[in-house]
Amino acid sequence: MTAEPSESTTEEKKVGVYICHCGGNISDHVDVDQLAKNVAGIEGVTVTHTNMFMCSDPGQELIQADIKSGKINRAVVASCAPSLHELTFRSAIKRANMNPYLYEHANIREQVSWVHHGDTATAKATHLVAAAIAKAKNLLPLEPIRVDAVGHVTVIGGGVAGMRAALDLSRRGIRVALVEKTAFLGGNTARLDRLVPTNDTGENVVRTLGDAVIADPGITVYGCAQIVGYEGYVGNFKLTLAQSTLKCSTISHEAGDWVSNTGLYVGEAGKDGQWVVESGAIVFATGFTPYRPREGEYGYLNVPEVVTLPDFIQEMAQLPAGGRPLTIGGRTIRRVAFIHCVGSRQIPGIHEPGGDGKLNEYCSRTCCSAILQAAVQIRTRYPETRVFEYYRDIRTYGRGQEDYYDRASDQNVLFFRYEPESPPLVERIERRPYPLRVRVKDTLTFGEELTAEVDLVVLGVGMQAHPIGDLVDMMKLPTGMDGFLQEVHPKLRPVEIANNGILLAGACQAPMDISEACNAAQAAAAKAATLLIKGHVELDPYVAQVDGSRCTGHGRCVEVCPVEGAVRMAAGKASVNPALCTGCGICVGECPEQAIDVNGWTLKQYEEMVDAILAA
Amino acid sequence: MSAEVNPDLIVDLKKFGVKSASACFNCGNCTAICSLSSESTPFPRKVIRYLQLGLKDKLMESPEPWLCYYCGDCSETCPRQADPGEVMMGLRRYLTSMYDWTGISRLFYTSTVFEVFSILLVAALVGLGFYTFHGPMLTDRVALNVFAPNTTIEILDLIMLGVLSFLLLTNAYRMFRAVMGDPAQYPELTPFEKQQFQNRIIRGIPAPLFISEAKEFVVHFLTQKKFIACGTASQRMQWFNHLLIMTGYSTVFLLVVVGLRWFQRDEIYALWHPVRLLGYYATFAILYGTTIAIVGRIKRSKTVYAHSHSSDWAFLVLLWLTTFSGILIHGTRMLEMPLTTYYLYVIHLMIAVPMLVIEVPFAKWTHQLYRPLIVYLMNVKKRAMARA
Ligand code: SF4
Ligand code: SF4
Repeated sequence: MTAEPSESTTEEKKVGVYICHCGGNISDHVDVDQLAKNVAGIEGVTVTHTNMFMCSDPGQELIQADIKSGKINRAVVASCAPSLHELTFRSAIKRANMNPYLYEHANIREQVSWVHHGDTATAKATHLVAAAIAKAKNLLPLEPIRVDAVGHVTVIGGGVAGMRAALDLSRRGIRVALVEKTAFLGGNTARLDRLVPTNDTGENVVRTLGDAVIADPGITVYGCAQIVGYEGYVGNFKLTLAQSTLKCSTISHEAGDWVSNTGLYVGEAGKDGQWVVESGAIVFATGFTPYRPREGEYGYLNVPEVVTLPDFIQEMAQLPAGGRPLTIGGRTIRRVAFIHCVGSRQIPGIHEPGGDGKLNEYCSRTCCSAILQAAVQIRTRYPETRVFEYYRDIRTYGRGQEDYYDRASDQNVLFFRYEPESPPLVERIERRPYPLRVRVKDTLTFGEELTAEVDLVVLGVGMQAHPIGDLVDMMKLPTGMDGFLQEVHPKLRPVEIANNGILLAGACQAPMDISEACNAAQAAAAKAATLLIKGHVELDPYVAQVDGSRCTGHGRCVEVCPVEGAVRMAAGKASVNPALCTGCGICVGECPEQAIDVNGWTLKQYEEMVDAILAA
Repeated sequence: MSAEVNPDLIVDLKKFGVKSASACFNCGNCTAICSLSSESTPFPRKVIRYLQLGLKDKLMESPEPWLCYYCGDCSETCPRQADPGEVMMGLRRYLTSMYDWTGISRLFYTSTVFEVFSILLVAALVGLGFYTFHGPMLTDRVALNVFAPNTTIEILDLIMLGVLSFLLLTNAYRMFRAVMGDPAQYPELTPFEKQQFQNRIIRGIPAPLFISEAKEFVVHFLTQKKFIACGTASQRMQWFNHLLIMTGYSTVFLLVVVGLRWFQRDEIYALWHPVRLLGYYATFAILYGTTIAIVGRIKRSKTVYAHSHSSDWAFLVLLWLTTFSGILIHGTRMLEMPLTTYYLYVIHLMIAVPMLVIEVPFAKWTHQLYRPLIVYLMNVKKRAMARA
């Protein structure tokens, strides 16, 4: 575990500069030949090249040839944003047997040609490349940090995503602790009946996964358990577990029992007090909670004939097959109204925020299909029951989901479309034969007001992030405005979060359906496995390093460091734990002795860059 | 004012041939493509929506189904295969039955058994009548006027005309009441106007408005010119075909009902005689028009012909057979075949009479009155509304 830069400060610096046309993306605005001429004269530059596409094989081979022939020992590529191709060029350099950190990248596309034109573009590019050359001359060879990794993963949450991730990991030979707060596996899926688009049951899905989890010797299930302590870093997390605060012990079932509407019974962990689990990575599969309407929202709680979709699904699931007519709570249901988007797609100024002061501005993505599925079920099983749906938009985006809309409309489900500012109004009417009246300004009917009398109103409630504030605080996890855990990048790194070694599986990240949650779980498992399978983890060497000769033990760095344990005082001097340090550099600015620096981004390097910019 | 939805209406409408209206998701493509739809009376989407919602009163008040000549553009454009054109057709059947106070129309449209039975019954009555009352069957020459004197037939014709007209006109009156809507919706008359028009105010509208627009009625009755707006060549053929059947039928109707004494003669007119020429035109026009339509429906060659309600078949087949048997009579008379002529004559009437009795006041022939009437009434309504 070392990040000591090797000493090679004395050798002569020979910098190669490689300028990319990017087709014409760059060269249409930056005079690349002029740019090459401008920087060719800078001290230390031994070669300059321009190329149509530096990232192409011939482009990379240019650099490799110069390294092999000894013309250069530092490389600067001026091209697109480093997030795109920095890694490409580092790898090319490494393949030519040069230390990949002796490389500097200048972004002359996003920062220059896409925003400036003509001479100013060329001038700015010259400044940036000159700065990169200055830094390159001061680069030292670095080695990636190696951290030993425990071949064990803790998965938090025993719903479908958690189970899926646990199984995938175990099958790759990684031991898993599956931590579940309740005494049951299955999460929200266990409370569902038929699933879109397969018409499979929630029970079947949960049992298939749950039975496999219970039978898997590589997976330890900790039921009725929760995480109360956390320390460590990628490869070496230490999680302290304890009995969950939920009253689990009152339930008595056999392990592996299916309890309808609840899940697969696993019982308690069988441990007393607290215990520690060591893991190389953590997978979050904490899922979601259905939105709970406010009192009075569409009459909820005030009117007994207004229920939420999950409750309605459970009621329907308990009805005997073949029994007719549709009877709920002793009442025959002749007409049902479903309202979409309850607690989803909320708009500031129109909707009232929930208890936490937040609006759920997102689409919950699953309710449309779930409502349509329920509607089709009603029309199929109870053809004499009429169904009305009040929607804002129908968003049946997934495979096979649009079919439910087709079937519903085929089966005479009547649709109404409302605008968010004039949602349907549910009123109780004492008049027979129907107890409720739904009033709506229907945009499909030229904004005319329509009323429908019904027996039951079902609220298509959306998803909310499961309340895991304690874990978020404890582990300093990033969450979005919507309260869900937030990935690094929705497309490029969809199941990772900024905290190295912690991965996301399922609806803890955003509303998603079961298929998507399982996709995410499998991706998270694959990510965790690739991270741990070698027995060690390699991290970027851009971490803080203390110059022992300068450090006088003020301890300012320890005070300001945002990462618990990344820098500590040992024997009167600061000492960095490179596995924890994120290289943010806050300590560098604070140290009065300038005794701490971030490798690869040292103060000296910055100074040289600034000088170069001013000189160019 | 809010309207109460009724999900059962769409189920009821299935019997009238409205099969696919629930598939409509109200995109409005059909209205956009329709060359007859206008900003003030957009269709077909609007009435399809009313139908989905079961807003019976709104449907009763809607002139749109009668403005549609079923070119089929909308059905071809609809992304949901909701077949809006056919929905409009079904709505016309439904509305016809709603305007009809006797309930026969509803039975005729919703029950194939009734449809067949009623036709057979009337045919049997006609047959029975001839069996009992026919005159001597001379065999030395064709003496149709001895077998069935045109004076007697004419009287029977006129009685039938009276009864059918009564039924049709009372139904048309009910249509008039429905489409003109609530009298209170029209701008109130000023005291001066009240005095000026005195009692000549019909359902909130001053009577002179009805008179000044009457020309429209005649023009549309004769030309069905709305139909011409339907764009393509094939649609214009459709209009032409429609016009052929309509004019042929009207001609023959006039000849038979009003001019029977000139039409049913035992001597054969010279080829150039106007009555004979009119007869030829009418038979040709109907036979050609109905044959095209029948073949089209069999082959389902166009969108318009894709779905056939049993009443569509009844209409076409009866009309075709009437005409065909009429031609045969003409032939056997010229070939001097007395007995065959008499039998054919009875058969001819056993087809023609049920067709008239059922179709004129209760089914498709009502269109001939309803369509121009609606165009006319809508003009009146527009002017009444704009009066303020
Ligand atoms: S899935 Fe449908 S009901 Fe749910 S929030 Fe999105 S649009 Fe609304
Ligand atoms: S009938 Fe078809 S084209 Fe017309 S509004 Fe409905 S879905 Fe759209």
